[in-house]
Amino acid sequence: MNDHLNTRRQFLQRSLALLAAAGTVPTFLNNTMMALAGPDVDLSRQPSGRDGKILVVVQLSGGNDGLNTVVPYADDAYHRARAGLALTPREVLKINDYLGLHPNLEGLKNLYDDGMMSVIQGVGYPNPNRSHFRSMDIWHTAQPDKEMATSGWLGRYFDNTCEGADPHAGISIGDSLPLSMKGERITPLAFEKPESYRYNGSATDHYKQLNSPITPAEPGIAQAANPELEFLTRTAMDAQVSSDRITRMVRSHVPGVNYPNNELANGLRTIAAMIGGGLETRVYYASLGGFDTHAQQRGRHDNLMRQFADAVSAFWADLRHQGNDDRVLMMTFSEFGRRVAANASGGTDHGAAAPMFLFGKHIEPGILGKHPSLTDLDQGDLKYRVDFRHIYAAILEKWLETPSRDILGGQFKPVPVIKA
Amino acid sequence: MPKLPALLQPLDPDRDGPFDRLRAAHLLNRAGFGGTPEEIRQAVNDGLEKTVLRLLDFPNAGAEEQSAADGKPDLSSIEGYPRNPRELRAIFAGKTEQERQLIRQRMAAAQREALRATGRWWLARMVDGEYPLQEKLTLFWHGHFTTSARDERSAWLMWRQNELLRRMAAGNFHTFVRQISRDPAMLDYLNNQQNRKQSPNENYARELMELFTLGIGHYTEQDIKEAARAFTGWGHDGDTFVFRREAHDYGPKIFFGRRGNFDGDDVIAIIFQHPQASRHISAKLWAFFAYEDPEPQIVDGLSQVLRENQFELRPLLKTIFTSRAFYSDRAIGTQIKGPVQLVVGTVRALDLELPPVGPLSQMLQQMGQVPFYPPNVKGWPGGRTWINTSTLFVRYNTCVWLAGGGTPTRSSRRGVERLVGSRRATLFDPPTGSDPAEVVDQWIDRLIQRPIAPEKRQILIDALDGRPDRQENVRRVVQLIVSMPEYQLC
Repeated sequence: MNDHLNTRRQFLQRSLALLAAAGTVPTFLNNTMMALAGPDVDLSRQPSGRDGKILVVVQLSGGNDGLNTVVPYADDAYHRARAGLALTPREVLKINDYLGLHPNLEGLKNLYDDGMMSVIQGVGYPNPNRSHFRSMDIWHTAQPDKEMATSGWLGRYFDNTCEGADPHAGISIGDSLPLSMKGERITPLAFEKPESYRYNGSATDHYKQLNSPITPAEPGIAQAANPELEFLTRTAMDAQVSSDRITRMVRSHVPGVNYPNNELANGLRTIAAMIGGGLETRVYYASLGGFDTHAQQRGRHDNLMRQFADAVSAFWADLRHQGNDDRVLMMTFSEFGRRVAANASGGTDHGAAAPMFLFGKHIEPGILGKHPSLTDLDQGDLKYRVDFRHIYAAILEKWLETPSRDILGGQFKPVPVIKA
Repeated sequence: MPKLPALLQPLDPDRDGPFDRLRAAHLLNRAGFGGTPEEIRQAVNDGLEKTVLRLLDFPNAGAEEQSAADGKPDLSSIEGYPRNPRELRAIFAGKTEQERQLIRQRMAAAQREALRATGRWWLARMVDGEYPLQEKLTLFWHGHFTTSARDERSAWLMWRQNELLRRMAAGNFHTFVRQISRDPAMLDYLNNQQNRKQSPNENYARELMELFTLGIGHYTEQDIKEAARAFTGWGHDGDTFVFRREAHDYGPKIFFGRRGNFDGDDVIAIIFQHPQASRHISAKLWAFFAYEDPEPQIVDGLSQVLRENQFELRPLLKTIFTSRAFYSDRAIGTQIKGPVQLVVGTVRALDLELPPVGPLSQMLQQMGQVPFYPPNVKGWPGGRTWINTSTLFVRYNTCVWLAGGGTPTRSSRRGVERLVGSRRATLFDPPTGSDPAEVVDQWIDRLIQRPIAPEKRQILIDALDGRPDRQENVRRVVQLIVSMPEYQLC
């Protein structure tokens, strides 16, 4: 048909030659073969790409102010502690006679009203750490007592459930892989944007040939078996196929809605393209930063709330448009909430417990749990009522359908947040 | 003195073949950050013994002691900053909470800036320094006696530790462990600063045995508890080691079956009598310099060399770099370059200026190795863990960028203009009258330094389009070579 296809065929032939030589066929290369055999047709036949359940984790970095996100507007203690920062009962989007959402969370309020969102109140962990790094590590590793953990809860999920070295088991949109996704065996993908997940050099045809196994014309010293070279060549081929697939998905993605233009929305848009394209990924990860609002919080936090809500609601509208909204569960979290009392700079300092959100068709919608007291505090911070590991346990067991004990390093009873 | 096992005996030209360009290039890659064609030629002329002795001939001294001129990173951003709680209190005196908050933020930003500057300063030493093996060893020790600037935010203490690693890089391992146990950044990182008689903290005692000296499984939990007690009161004052008598547990301890009023140095001395103390580090050094999973005879042999020399590291290093196994097929061209090796090696091979600190940190971050930020206390595991489908693209794109191609990531575009100019503007100029094969061979020789499959060589020749006299064609071939799986190995 054209040169491009010819190159692909040659690429395939060379790959097969390599496999014949290597003896073993990694799982992913089988998929690679399928993708190569028919560039665009066969992908939908991969069961996990079209039917599997998907988890999307959204990280709000810097410590989101939970009290100004889900606002106890009817609590006098809130207004007393938050002079200058408190949101008035008139401003908030009321969800009951005690709580209301931040006024810029209209998009989330709609999801809430549709029964697609749940708010779990007062989530935290024992002996809260108020360092960003340490507390984020605790959320990522789910091992508060282990200072030097080397893998994250999602990474251990991949280690326990994924065969071979499927590079698409998990994908994180960002500069580097978050610790939570890091496994001892599986290393999921991370890229900032689809454009950075491809070869940037010119002469791509030559490049592809140089990154394919060669069929030696005559045996010589250079063909001496070098397992590392074979490993690299295999990874390069995987990378090329994977990059081609993701680029194609992102380019052909026509979102059902207009996404706003912000860090999180761009990430979620890319994720929606990969879900729509049928990538066999179980866990996606995206982030929004800037929540460390020590000073002049009002304008900054308002803006972040708008970005967060608009990105999340566009994503869900897009999924609904695709018909994939019942396959996805979204969880959002931050490393900690903020101090109950405002500080002297019109901001808030590092705190502890905060609400967590879940989105999807299969979650128990509404307000779950009891709001922590605003007067019975731990060093000025809300006391947690739900250990986040019980929520991880629910997601692992009820959504990803895998035992959570080994992954979380202990038995945590799943909280009833996901419909049976 | 028992004879060395066959694998560790010196390379014998009659039996194993000569110390040729292939082997000289291998040595310069592993015992440094790669040699230029001129340096490789020099090594071949000098021969193996002389080259290894020259590589090992560096002062047991930090950079600052070696040279007052360029022996120190640019720490101006933290000049005059408080180094301990007392100085901090003095600065905070009379300030409102809001003003203190502002000071804290300014100080944190200044520390980060100083750390970036220190990272780049170190990379520059790897590129241009007089003693490549000393810097390579410093990198090894940084991954062994890890401390991360994510936890130790003081750029000053991170730099002091870096200097200790450099000073002791090829010194005495036993002495080294005694010194690292007193290093302020280490005392912070592994919480010995908080290790007091009233509330012992076991973190340092555990890693001292598990990671630094013996390896997991060669001690009991009780040994850790007792060792932790011996290190109580070892702390620092923001600048140097202090022994806090009031926090030290002077009571008797039972450690490795011995009873005594041990302190930290006693515990270390007992550890060094354990056979594993010479084996663990020998195996790790061999894996770093030669190959993973060494034969048991190699670990036995190196361990024996270390013991015979009372834990002096130079004889061990000399044994590694002169051994037959080091020059075997198992070693040559089988190591996946770490990101630092890849970037420093490429900068050296292309004779470039080191990129500006912004894009440099970003590239290393995406490839998974930023100096001063090891991922955790185990350091960088290396080998195949460097590689997945995303890091491989970042590695290729970074090298293409260094060779004058497109930007590796969008946000680092700013740095490009300053980078592209190589120090020798003529680098991509083909010599007059050369034919395509000659140009390709020359670049393979400079960059990969090993023969490649003839089919791949032919692809590169084709990429010259029959016009090796055109700079852009040569540049294209160079960019292709650095995007080959072969280039990821050394």
